Amino acid sequence: MSSSYSNYTNSPCAACKFLRRKCTSDCVFAPYFPPEEPKKFANVHRIFGASNVSKILQEVEPHQREDAVNSLAYEAEARLRDPVYGCVGAISVLQRQVLGLQSELEETNADIMRYASCLGGETTSVYGARRG
Amino acid sequence: MRGPGSSPCASCKLLRRRCAKECIFAPYFPPDDPHKFAIVHKVFGASNVSKMLQELPVHQRADAVNSLVFEANARVRDPVYGCVGAISYLQNQVTQLQMQLAVAQTEILCIQMQHEPALQSHHEVFELDQDDKAHLLHSNNNSINNCNNNYNLAYAMSSGQLNSNFASPSSIIQMQMQDPLKQESLWT
Repeated sequence: MSSSYSNYTNSPCAACKFLRRKCTSDCVFAPYFPPEEPKKFANVHRIFGASNVSKILQEVEPHQREDAVNSLAYEAEARLRDPVYGCVGAISVLQRQVLGLQSELEETNADIMRYASCLGGETTSVYGARRG
Repeated sequence: MRGPGSSPCASCKLLRRRCAKECIFAPYFPPDDPHKFAIVHKVFGASNVSKMLQELPVHQRADAVNSLVFEANARVRDPVYGCVGAISYLQNQVTQLQMQLAVAQTEILCIQMQHEPALQSHHEVFELDQDDKAHLLHSNNNSINNCNNNYNLAYAMSSGQLNSNFASPSSIIQMQMQDPLKQESLWT
């Protein structure tokens, strides 16, 4: 990652800047919190705390850490926008949407069956295959 | 508020401190459910949770705690994606259902167009009025008024369980972070 060079020659990573500490060559945050995205770490720090984020990163495989950081950043942003429900609100909306679509699909399939029985079972599907 | 002589709340037990009568955690972390606070503390940290609760009006704190517990559980089960894995899974499910619904609705239209005279002769059995036809023509996300306060989401997802034909959680994260979240407030 290009940001891994930042702690050598350029500014410290966003995490170390925020925490006002020296950004070392083995900083666990540096690859994922580049200095040009200060808000990302600020949000994550506010909701989860730096030490919890560090523990989570150490628990996951290196190739999964970027996704882990991005999902933490997403959750933190959602929680800051909606302090009561965070991203659980989005889950509830999607669950309702799934239930609604399932219900509508069942009704539509029932309508198809009714049509089929009305017409003596002979229908032609949208793909041209006959059903009988 | 705690009554005199009652045991400390789960958070004060875990943090090994005296549980004051104004303890902010006590109403939401009863002593008989130690796991609830333990998991929230593990993911968010007690001081962060305390700050979050202090920023909320009292009547919203129970819901906030429940959603934090849900998120914490999700994160412990899936340290990489947490809740975002669930969002990705549900978004994929919505997409699949929308496609299936569009196919089914198209099928009905085909049947109608092919058998219109036959259908008219059977009108006493099955009749579509204009509203029904409009409904069939338009695919819509019909959100039913069925608000479940159900945090026991059937959560069995991880990135490995997602259909490889659909968006992965990481791409969902990238897309979603560009757009503002739009959410409804569901709990009443």
